[in-house]
Parts: sequence; structure tokens; C-alpha cells
Amino acid sequence: MSRDSNYGARREFIVPHAPLPHADHHITIFSPAGKLYQVEYAIKCAQTTSGLTSVAVRGADSCVLVTQKKVPDRLVDATSVTNLYKVTEKLAVLMTGMSADCRTQATRLRYEAAEFKFQYGYAMPVASLAKRVGDICQVYTQKASLRALAAICIIAAVDEEKGPQIFKVDPAGHHFPYFATAAGAKESEATNFLEKKVDEFATYDADKTVQCAIAALQSVLNADFKASEIEAMLLSGDSSCHALTEEEIDGHLNVLAETDA
Amino acid sequence: MASTGAGYDLSPTTFSPDGRIFQVEYATKAVENSGTVVGIRCADGVVLGVEKVMLSKMLLPSSNRRVAAVAPHAGVAQAGSTADGRQVVARARDECDSYDDTYGIEIPPSVLAQRLAEYVHYFTIHGALRPFGASTMIAAYDARKKTHELYVLEPTGVCLRYFGAALGKGRQSAKSEIEKLDLTKLTCREALKEIAKMIHTTHDDAKDKPFILEFAWLCEETEWKYGLVPQDLIDEADAWAKKELESDDEDDDGDEEMAS
Repeated sequence: MSRDSNYGARREFIVPHAPLPHADHHITIFSPAGKLYQVEYAIKCAQTTSGLTSVAVRGADSCVLVTQKKVPDRLVDATSVTNLYKVTEKLAVLMTGMSADCRTQATRLRYEAAEFKFQYGYAMPVASLAKRVGDICQVYTQKASLRALAAICIIAAVDEEKGPQIFKVDPAGHHFPYFATAAGAKESEATNFLEKKVDEFATYDADKTVQCAIAALQSVLNADFKASEIEAMLLSGDSSCHALTEEEIDGHLNVLAETDA
Repeated sequence: MASTGAGYDLSPTTFSPDGRIFQVEYATKAVENSGTVVGIRCADGVVLGVEKVMLSKMLLPSSNRRVAAVAPHAGVAQAGSTADGRQVVARARDECDSYDDTYGIEIPPSVLAQRLAEYVHYFTIHGALRPFGASTMIAAYDARKKTHELYVLEPTGVCLRYFGAALGKGRQSAKSEIEKLDLTKLTCREALKEIAKMIHTTHDDAKDKPFILEFAWLCEETEWKYGLVPQDLIDEADAWAKKELESDDEDDDGDEEMAS
């Protein structure tokens, strides 16, 4: 994108302004202490800007992506507000961060997965997609012309060879597989909740996986949800990504309420 | 913390220490100061109304259009910088054309909205560009689903579907008025009058410059083609709105007399 074909040579665009103190805070160059402040700020933006918390859990044969759904305005058509995107028939991503950046990132994920399928003839494995997106994010941390996208992607699918997988990709380009993970405003609290249950995940069926993810959200947000305030996507077995309906979410909420009470 | 920007607000590629991008926030401010734009998705169509501020009496009423058609079945209204908005309109027209060339059918509203959203979003991540200082309301008809839709595209690149929306100076009061209406039953002709009233209400004759009402719609009556509302209907709505405001004023005076 920074290739300037008029001059036949590559030119990098550096933002043209007078040198500021703390330039290392302003663009992605190293600070004397070896930190990349802009990358840290981008991650902070992704965590805090939307105020939402997202949770993902991997069970025995399924994975679940759950997040809060907050509709900003009564006049907004709520069906157009979502952070869960189907990337391919069997692969979904949960985005957390700045709304527009999330949307662009999701489109890029779709493009990469489709391109892989076209080139190689088989569905892109989650691990490959996570690495690809991670590498793209890393490039933004090394070029001055584009900023890092403030979006944390939690990618999930039931892989043909490896079974259910969850990967988290952050604006710095880190991409790791997880048994369960969280992102957003209450990430650390949710992660603590999940860590306590990590030994049980391998025994969870699809329902239990969904309920665990919703329970994690409920406990860190100290809230009793209505089904319309959560959105959830279940990936299990051979079936395509299934976005849970309000009735199904209600069912799970009821089960949780009964086991608590 | 760094809530004033203070050095972190010079480029869309700079995050502040608390994770904000000030350039994008400032672009949104540019829209907030513009003339009011109201869009309502009615039972039988979508109506977009603009408070077009006339900077000089010598200007022809039709100049400086704030509404534009981007395809026979889709159109926009703009708030904010009209020069910036024109770029978005040009891109929208290109997208509609190229979609039709590639796929042979009219571009579905949701696809148009997302493509424009990504276009506008790109300007919020590139260091050598600045964000658009314009918000765009998109009204379009989906021929396959047989639904009419209203989207609002902000300078941040966020584009959501709305039942009713308002941009610009008078947006707060316009929004509360829209929420009072029953949008499942409201017809486009009724909406013309309601929007005219909202715009007249928020327009301060003493402080603001004179304005012209510009309306465009996409409805059953126009066979789902986007176009300007006929001038006689606009005049009718305008007259009705002015009368409503006068009688509201009289009611207020009456209340004052009773109070004292």
C-alpha cells in the first residue's frame, strides 16, 4: 500500500510533522527502554474501548464464543449489531475492540480463508488462519503508514485433524491456542474464573461448554443477563457454525439459574 | 489522563495512552456541528430530510445539494463537510456500478453499506490520510428481500442499520422526537411533515443562518426509486411544520398565563 508506482521505488510514508518529544509514544518505533508504546496503546484500546467482555471455551468436541451485546441506541436495528462473524462455514471469529476495526479485520479474515481454499483446495485450518492474521497484525506494528487495528480476534473451529480449537490474535500479532480465553474490559477476572475450571473442560459436552462460557461472563459482570444481552456461537462436530437463538440462550440461562439456586 | 489529546491527536495512526484515537474523534465532532439531517425508515419507505443552511441569499436553492442518488435503488444524505461527503458519494456510485457489472444484480443495501464502511474506515488507519469529516445516511431497497433499509455511516467507519436516525446540531432533540413516533405505522408522507417539524424546532432563527428543507425519499410511491421529493409536498410539509410550531408556542404562552 505504500508502494509509490509513480517513482518506481518504494517509499514509506512517515507522518510529516515536527519531531515531538516522546516520538516513540507516537509511532511504532522502539523507546529507549525497548518498548513499543503504540502497540501497547492499541491493545489497551481494543480491551477498553467497547466496554464489552468476550469469553471462549473449548470443550471435548465443541467450542463456544460468547460476548455481551449492547445496542447503543433504541433506534438502531439490533440485527445489524454483532461482534460474531462467520468466516467460513465451519470457522467463526469473535471480535473485541473498536467497532470499525473489528469489521475490517473480520472481512480480512474472510478474504484470507477464501483465498486459502481457492489456492490449496481445502478449508483453511484455524492454526493457519491465526498465524496469517497474526503476521498481518505484526506488519502494522512495523510500518509507520498504517496503525495497528484495535481488534482482538478469538477464532474458533472444529479442526478436521485436531478437533475443537480456539486461537486468540491480538494487535501485536501474538497468536496462541487456548483451552479457554477471554478478552475485553473484564479479561483478567474472566480468565481467573476459567483457570479454576481448566481441568474440567475436556469433559464438557456442547451444552456444558456453552453454559460454562455464559457462567464466566455472568460471574465477572455480576449480572443476570437477559438472552437479548448476549450473543453466542457454537461450533461442534461436523456441523456449521451455529449462532444460538434467543430461545436457546434462554434455555442455558435457566439451567445455570437452577444449578446456582 | 491525556484527555486533551496533547500531541497524540496529530495523526489517525496514533493511539493515545488511554487507547483513544483523537483524530477520528475530532472528525466526528466536525459532523456534530453541521446542519441537522434526519432519516426515518417508515412503513412504506425511507425518508431523508436535510436542514440545508444557505450561506448567501444569492445562492440558487438547488445548489450545494446534500442528498444524492448513488443507484436507482439507493441514495444518501450527508452531514458534515460536503466536500468530504462528495468523495463518499463518488465511491458509492463506483461500488454500485462495479457490483452490477460483476454480479448482474443491483447491489444489496447491506453490501453497499459494508463496502462504504470499509472505505471510510481505511481513512482512519492510514498515516498519510485523514478521516472523512462527514457522516452519510444511506437509504436503499433490497429487491430480493423486498425490504427498505436505512444505514448511518460515521467517520469512524462504523455503519449500523437504523429505524430512525439524526445527525448534526439538532440530533438530540430530533432523536427523542423520532422515538415518540410509531414507525411501524408511519407513512412517508407523514414522515415528511414530522421531519420538517423537527428541523424547524431545532433551528434557532435568531442565531442560525437561514435554511432550506431538502428532502429525498425511496418508497412504494416512487416504486422504490430514490429521488428528490416533489417540491409541492415539501412546501406542504414546511407549512404544516410552521403552523404546528406556532400553535405549540401559543400553548406554551397559555400555560404561562395559567401558572402566574
